[in-house]
Amino acid sequence: MAELQGLGAALSDAERAGIEIVAVSPDDNAQSQRLADGLHLNYRFVADRDLAVTRRYGLVHPRGGPDGQDVPRPATVLLDRNGVVRWLSLSSNYQVRPDPRDVVRAVRAL
Amino acid sequence: MTASRAAALSALICVATVATYSLLIGVPAVRNHPEGYVSAFAIAATVAGLGVALGRRWYGWVALVGALGLFIMGSYVNFVLARIPAAPTALALGEPAPDFTLIDAAGRRVSLADYRDRKPVLLVFYRGYW
Repeated sequence: MAELQGLGAALSDAERAGIEIVAVSPDDNAQSQRLADGLHLNYRFVADRDLAVTRRYGLVHPRGGPDGQDVPRPATVLLDRNGVVRWLSLSSNYQVRPDPRDVVRAVRAL
Repeated sequence: MTASRAAALSALICVATVATYSLLIGVPAVRNHPEGYVSAFAIAATVAGLGVALGRRWYGWVALVGALGLFIMGSYVNFVLARIPAAPTALALGEPAPDFTLIDAAGRRVSLADYRDRKPVLLVFYRGYW
């Protein structure tokens, strides 16, 4: 979730209203909602319990979880109004996440 | 430098590094440079080794074992555990993202197609537990 923190503050009110943030994780909805409440941003948290969508996107980190389970690899993707990928951040180290300033720059470049 | 000062400096580097990475993990400049803690533990181990060379005192050995332990542990986390194997994705710049429908926290259906011609979407895949 590190990549989501600070993003709300970096965007103006108008920019926040003009973009939809859809966060996908295998978390159940209750857990996601607790996170959403703490972020002060209008995120849509969607649950991909069995990682079916994450797998279809090719974003599974096999056996990367603490109990050896498959988990999503951190990825941030900016889609324009036509659903076309305009900016993409894929981490090859799960500790490294995009800097919110880079995300904001990409949003402003749309 | 004396053996005791080297041991103290080594311990200080270790404590400061652990504190920095635990307290400032939300700061991108810290979080996105995990090689920083590996290097800091390597420096701490070198300083502790120097201390032991200057005088074989028990605290020197404690500092050396501590710093080496942190260096090995940190290297394992950063270079082995945290490494995500490269794999092809369904995403490419300039190409449409595959559509999906999932349920949000309020129980509503969310489809990427819902935003087509309406709004840009920032899609974030995250692990959930942190």
